[in-house]
Amino acid sequence: MKRPLQALLLLLSGLGLLHATVVTDHYLRYVKPGMHLLLVASGALLLVLGAAEAWSLWRKARDEGEAGDDRQAAPTHDEAATHDEAVTHDEAVTHDEAVTHDEAVTHDEAHAHGHDHSTPPRVAWLLLLPALSLLFYAPPAIGAYTASREAPKAVAVTDQDDFDPLPKTSPLPITLTDFTTRVQQDRDRAIDGRTVEMTGFVTPDKGASAEGGGGDEATSWYLTRAIVSCCAADAQFVKVRVHGAPPPPADTWVTLTGTWHPSGTLGTRTAEAALDAHTVKKAPRPPNAYADAVPLTN
Amino acid sequence: MTDAPPDTKTPPNAAPPAHADHPHHPDQPGEPDQPGELDQPGEPDHPGSTWPRHWPLLLLGAAVVPGVVLFAVGRWLEDPAVQAWRTVCLSITVQALPFLLLGTALSGAINAFVPARVFTRVLPRRPALAVPVAGAAGVVLPGCECASVPVAQSLIRRGVDPAAAFAFLLSAPAINPIVLTATAIAFPGSPAMVLARLLASLVTAAAMGWLWLWLGRAEWLKPVARHTGHRPGLSRWDEFRTGFQHDFLHAGGFLVVGAMAAATFNVLVPRTVLDTFADSPWLSVLFLAALAILLSVCSEADAFVAASLTGFSPTARLTFMVVGPMVDLKLIALQTGTFGRAFAVRFSAATVVVAILCSVLIGAVLL
Repeated sequence: MKRPLQALLLLLSGLGLLHATVVTDHYLRYVKPGMHLLLVASGALLLVLGAAEAWSLWRKARDEGEAGDDRQAAPTHDEAATHDEAVTHDEAVTHDEAVTHDEAVTHDEAHAHGHDHSTPPRVAWLLLLPALSLLFYAPPAIGAYTASREAPKAVAVTDQDDFDPLPKTSPLPITLTDFTTRVQQDRDRAIDGRTVEMTGFVTPDKGASAEGGGGDEATSWYLTRAIVSCCAADAQFVKVRVHGAPPPPADTWVTLTGTWHPSGTLGTRTAEAALDAHTVKKAPRPPNAYADAVPLTN
Repeated sequence: MTDAPPDTKTPPNAAPPAHADHPHHPDQPGEPDQPGELDQPGEPDHPGSTWPRHWPLLLLGAAVVPGVVLFAVGRWLEDPAVQAWRTVCLSITVQALPFLLLGTALSGAINAFVPARVFTRVLPRRPALAVPVAGAAGVVLPGCECASVPVAQSLIRRGVDPAAAFAFLLSAPAINPIVLTATAIAFPGSPAMVLARLLASLVTAAAMGWLWLWLGRAEWLKPVARHTGHRPGLSRWDEFRTGFQHDFLHAGGFLVVGAMAAATFNVLVPRTVLDTFADSPWLSVLFLAALAILLSVCSEADAFVAASLTGFSPTARLTFMVVGPMVDLKLIALQTGTFGRAFAVRFSAATVVVAILCSVLIGAVLL
């Protein structure tokens, strides 16, 4: 790989990272908010590296222009780590022609591939994909497609008896995790009959639509939250089945109110985290989509 | 992404015609024509000025084909599965980049600024003793596994025994304070899991180091240009910068390969499939080891994934956490790039076996 292209690759990678962190907040689609500073620093570092490489190349080119075909100039000004590049380069200078210089370097690269370790391999080009992707075509956050294929995140099994009494507000804003825990573990059944309010995105129930389902299964879907501990690759999903409302399009963010849909014994593991929906409203995507948070009440 | 192939192809494709044009048309500047040549495969601009036969057809094709291809690729990229793949792939890359930078910066700094005698003084002279010391030294490198591969490489370049460097490579991502804290948070109320992870990872790392001393052969390692550290006459800063740049571009390319492979498995294999193997104690250990390799979750996060696999026995989940930071798709790609394929295949396979054995033994005692 030619050195100007290495500089370009570094600059593009740095720009991509900075674009996703400083210009936009696309990085939140991929990693946790805590990574922000690290990513900004990495982007800046890559920019500096790319600029330093470009600067050293420019200085080298300028020095060679001044030195003409003075043979002694080349080795001292040459900053490549290898000797053979310096030598071929020296040859190129005598021809004093940009085109031959190019040719010399590609030639060098071609037969240096086997033994020399000083130029990055062609696989380094792949860094262009994430860089351009971040710059121009950032994919969306992980969503319904993956959620519909994963088992729901298991709620931590705690044999706690000391659930705090629920606040009296109605509808009660609650996270999907809290709702599931209350349904499956609160022996006092405090959630019974309470109208709750939750926000999440829509995951269609593929199984029901494909197999026809039974009874009202065909109209049920999942309210979903993705929870990420490091990056979107390890996303886990909390799902609450929603009954009694037509499914909005996949990945739509909604705030809904409803009451627990009785199935199984409330307060035990047999109870299903499910809801009879009263109202379903479209909601804006929260800034940090990868956490389970209570809906913003107005 | 769609822009990538023309961009990558530009220099090799563009150079020869420009070069060839020069002798015939010295007055005609070759460079400004190049973008046009790339967009429509060049026929109207042909230097011979004789129009090729069927030129209207070719022109029509040049106008229509890129549009159709762009449209088809665009539709394909909108497919939810492809989007999920791109998201996972980019997530792994973005998550790992800062740590890869940290690792390659450390590696470059070791090469340029740390004299070789430091290592001979710090590490015991006998390799058999240096292995456990280097393994325990893994505690000091916070971060995930992407950082440890370039650092291990630069240690070898500076004359550290490969066995000790490999012990460090394996233990650093698994036993550093950040990872152990994450494990404690993911498994509340079971400190035994943290202890088991620490011990199993350390024992595996040391065992692999000793195994390398016993069976390893230098020719499996890709011959690295043995960096001699600082050379008189060159600026240390430039040495650091070029070493850093080279290592980063090199490892970064392989990181993307690994992220692509991991994303493919992430999208193709839903986790629900593996729950079917949860009932058998032996199969569950093997399947969680396989899952750790395929999913390539970063070592700072794998404890949370392990905690979510509630259907599996604690020993199986321990295996997941011990194998994951040592062997996974992106690590295999990184190691292949850094040390060569002959090494990566043997080393990864042996590490999986040793890690599973250690996890099962220690899990049986502690969990």
